[in-house]
Amino acid sequence: MAPSPCALCHTNRALILRPKDHSKLCKTCFISVFETEIHHTITMNALFKRGEKIAIGASGGKDSTVLASVLKTLNERYDYGLDLILLSIDEGIKGYRDDSLETVKRNAEQYGMDLTILGYDELYGWTMDQVVEQVGKKGNCTYCGVFRRQALDRGAARLGVKHVVTGHNADDVAETVLMNLLRGDLPRLSRTTSIITSTPSASSDPASNTNIKRSKPLKYAYEKEIVLYAHHKHLDYFSTECIYSPEAFRGSARALIKNLERVRPSAILDVVRSGEDMAKLVPGSDEGCGGACSSNVPIAEEEEGGCGSAAGRTVGGDMENMEKQLAQNDTAADNDLEIEITAKSLQKAKQHNRHDSAAVPLANGKKTKKGVTPRKTNKQVMGQCKICGYLSSQEVCKACVLLEGLNKGRPKNKIEVGYEVQDVQQRDQGADGVADVMQRTSIGGD
Amino acid sequence: MPGKYSVSAIDEPCRRCKAMSVIVVRSEPLCHDCFARYVHTKAIKRLERFRVNFTATPDQQPRILLPLSLGVSSTTLLHVLDLHLKTQKSKTNRTGFVISVLLIDDVVQDPASAERLEKVRHQYPDHDYSSLPLHDVFRLVPDDASIRSLLPLPVDQAKLSTQEQLVSLISSLPSATARADVLSTLRTRLTVEFAKQAECESILWGDSTTRLAEKTLSETAKGRGFSLPWQISDGASPMGINFHYPMRDVLKKELVSYINLAEPELASLVYEPSSGATQASTSSKNTTIDDLMKQYFESVEENFPSIVSNVVRTTGKLAAPASMSLGQCCSLCSMPISDGRFGIHGWGGDQQDGVEPSHAEGSNKLCYGCTRSIPQFGSTPTTT
Ligand SMILES: [Zn+2]
Ligand SMILES: [Zn+2]
Ligand SMILES: [Zn+2]
Ligand SMILES: [Zn+2]
Repeated sequence: MAPSPCALCHTNRALILRPKDHSKLCKTCFISVFETEIHHTITMNALFKRGEKIAIGASGGKDSTVLASVLKTLNERYDYGLDLILLSIDEGIKGYRDDSLETVKRNAEQYGMDLTILGYDELYGWTMDQVVEQVGKKGNCTYCGVFRRQALDRGAARLGVKHVVTGHNADDVAETVLMNLLRGDLPRLSRTTSIITSTPSASSDPASNTNIKRSKPLKYAYEKEIVLYAHHKHLDYFSTECIYSPEAFRGSARALIKNLERVRPSAILDVVRSGEDMAKLVPGSDEGCGGACSSNVPIAEEEEGGCGSAAGRTVGGDMENMEKQLAQNDTAADNDLEIEITAKSLQKAKQHNRHDSAAVPLANGKKTKKGVTPRKTNKQVMGQCKICGYLSSQEVCKACVLLEGLNKGRPKNKIEVGYEVQDVQQRDQGADGVADVMQRTSIGGD
Repeated sequence: MPGKYSVSAIDEPCRRCKAMSVIVVRSEPLCHDCFARYVHTKAIKRLERFRVNFTATPDQQPRILLPLSLGVSSTTLLHVLDLHLKTQKSKTNRTGFVISVLLIDDVVQDPASAERLEKVRHQYPDHDYSSLPLHDVFRLVPDDASIRSLLPLPVDQAKLSTQEQLVSLISSLPSATARADVLSTLRTRLTVEFAKQAECESILWGDSTTRLAEKTLSETAKGRGFSLPWQISDGASPMGINFHYPMRDVLKKELVSYINLAEPELASLVYEPSSGATQASTSSKNTTIDDLMKQYFESVEENFPSIVSNVVRTTGKLAAPASMSLGQCCSLCSMPISDGRFGIHGWGGDQQDGVEPSHAEGSNKLCYGCTRSIPQFGSTPTTT
C-alpha cells in the first residue's frame, strides 16, 4: 500500500493516526492542530485575561508538562500576555517526588518559567513522612487527600496568583461524568464538567485566600494525543504510574471509557458533551451558562482519583459501601414509604469527605412530587474555617481538624483522631468512614 | 404459577409466608408465589392510571401498545398484563385498558417470526396482534421527507422500495455502533407511529431497571445526554404519546428468574438469539456501545443491584428545560433540541474553527448524537 499523504497539508507523508478522529496526519500538522485546538478552547471559553498571572499546577507528569509547553507556545504565538509560572507541591514523601520534582525543575529552565515548590511542611507544618510516623501507614492517605485538595489553592494564594490551571484532559472529564452517573451524584457531575471552577476561600484577610480560579485548558484534549504530542515534541516528562488502584466506581468508569474509545473514537468527546448538556438539566444547578460566565462559576472539585484519595482502599470498597446503604434505604422504602435516595443524601448522612462538596446547595425542596417525602433541606451554609480562613461547611475545615489532631498528638500515646481514622478505615475500607469521624470530632457539625 | 424446576434449597424459608423459598431476591428469601407476587406488584404499581374506569363504556377503554421483542422483559410484561386484565375482569367484569401488541422485524419479514407471534397470540388470545417490517417506517412516518432525507445521495428514492431504502441507509453508516443506533431509533419511530395510528394512548415498554441503566449510559456515551429526561421517564414523551415503563423496578436477572420459575409455556415464547453481547468481544469491530453497556450492567446487577436502580432513579431527576420549544426536534430521534444546538459543531469541544453548522437541506437537522451516527448527513455537499 502506498503511503498516504497527510489529510491536512496533502504534501507530507502521514505518520500519525489521530486518536480523536482517526485522521491520518503528518507530524507537523498533528502538532499544529493539537495546539490550535487548545487555543480554540482557550479563546472560545475566554479562559484568560491579558496580563493575568497563571500558576500551572505542575507534577512533572505528561499532562502538566504538555500543558506548560503548549501554554508557553500559545502565549507567544497569539500574544495572550500571560505571566506563566509553575507551581509544584511536595508532599514530603522521601523518594516519591524526587524524580518528578527534578523533571519540573528542568521544565522550568526549558520553558523559562519561575518555579515554586511548596512542601506540605510549609503549608501545613507536616510532611507526609512525619504524618505517617505519627498515625501509622493505614490512616495516612486521608491526610494526603485532604491536604492535597487545598494545597494548590493555598500555594497560589501564597504567591498572590488568582488562577491555577491543571492538566485534566478529556479522558479525565469523561471518566468523571460516567463515574458520577454510576454514583448517582448529579450535583458533582454538574460541577466537574465545567471548564472553569472557583475555589472561593472566604477570608477576613483579602490578601491571603480569596477566590482562586481553576481551569483546565486540556479539557477537550485526548490523553492519547497528549502522549503523542509529548513524544513528538520530545518533551521532558516523568511517567509515573499511580501506585494505587482506583476505587471501584472510578475504576469501572475508566474501563468503560477505554472500551468506548475503542468502539467509537469520538466517544470520549461525546461523553464530555453529554456531561455538559446534563449539567444544565440538574435541578437547582447554575450551569445554564455551561459554567463559562464568571458570575456563576461552580465550586471547584478535585476530580482526579490520584493517589492519596484512593490509597489503602480495597478495590470495590466504595461500591460495596454504597450498595449496602442503598439496599437499606430500599428496605425502608418497601414499607410504601417513598424515600428519595441519592448519593447526595448518602453523602450528607456520612458527611462527604470532600472539603467543599456541599458548597452548591441544591434547590431540594422546590420540586416536590406527590407522594414523595421531600428531602430535608439540610442546607449546609458555607462559611470559612475559623483557623485558616479556607472555605468550609464546618467551623473548622478538615485540614485544620486533622492538623489539630496531629499537633496535639504525641507519638507515644496515639492521638484520638488518628486512631479512630485507622479503625474506621479498616472497618469501612473507605475514606467516607473517615469523614464520619471527622464530622464527629469537628466542632460545628450539624 | 407452578414451578418448572425447583431451585437448590435455600436454608431460610420464605420471609413473607414461611413456605419453602426458591429464590433470594435482594437478600430476601422468597417462595415461588411470593416471588411471583413481587414481580407482579412492581409492574402493576406502575399502572395506576389504567385502573378500571366505571364511567366509561367498554369501547371507551384506553388502548395501550405493547412493543414485543420476544425478549425476556417484554414477554414477561405481556404475561403480567394479561394476568392483570383477567383479574380486573373477574373482579369487576371490566378491564382498565385493552392491549395492542406489535412485533417489528428488523430487515426482512421472517416467516419464523410470524410463527412465533402466532404462538404468543395462541397463549394470550384476548389482545390485538400486528407485525411490521422495520422498513415500514419509511411508509408510515407521515412527513416522509424527514426520514427519507437521511438516505445517502444521490439516489432516486422514488424508485426504491422501502426495504431498499432501509438497506441503503443502513449500509451507508460508518460503524456497527452507528448501524445499531440508527436501527433502534427507527424501531422506536415505527413503534410510535403505529401506536398513534392505532389510536393508542400510551406505549408500555418492557425495559427493566437494568435496561434503563444501560440506556442511560449508552445515550450518554453517544452524546445524547441532553435527551435523558425524556428517554427513561414515565409520562408524556416528546414524540406525542405517553411512554410507560412498568418493569422499571424489576432487574433483568429477576425477570430471567421469573421466566425460569413460571409455566414452561411462558419460557417457550421467549426468543432471544444470543447477540454475542454478553460475551466479552471488545476487540471486535462489531461491538457496539449498547453491547458494552449491556455487558457492564449485567455484571453490576449481579452484586450491586441497588446501584443499578439508583442510576435510573437519579437520572430520572434530570429536568427537561422549562423553556423548551418542542418545535425544534431531531429529524431522526425526534428528541427536542434547545437553542438550535444541532449537529456536532459550535460548542466548546468543537475544535474545527469556522466549520458551519449542518448544511442539510430543508428543515431537517440532526442532534449531536444522531450526527455521530450519520456523519455524512451533517457534512456539506462539497465534501462528499
Ligand atoms: Zn501535514
Ligand atoms: Zn482550616
Ligand atoms: Zn412466600
Ligand atoms: Zn437525534
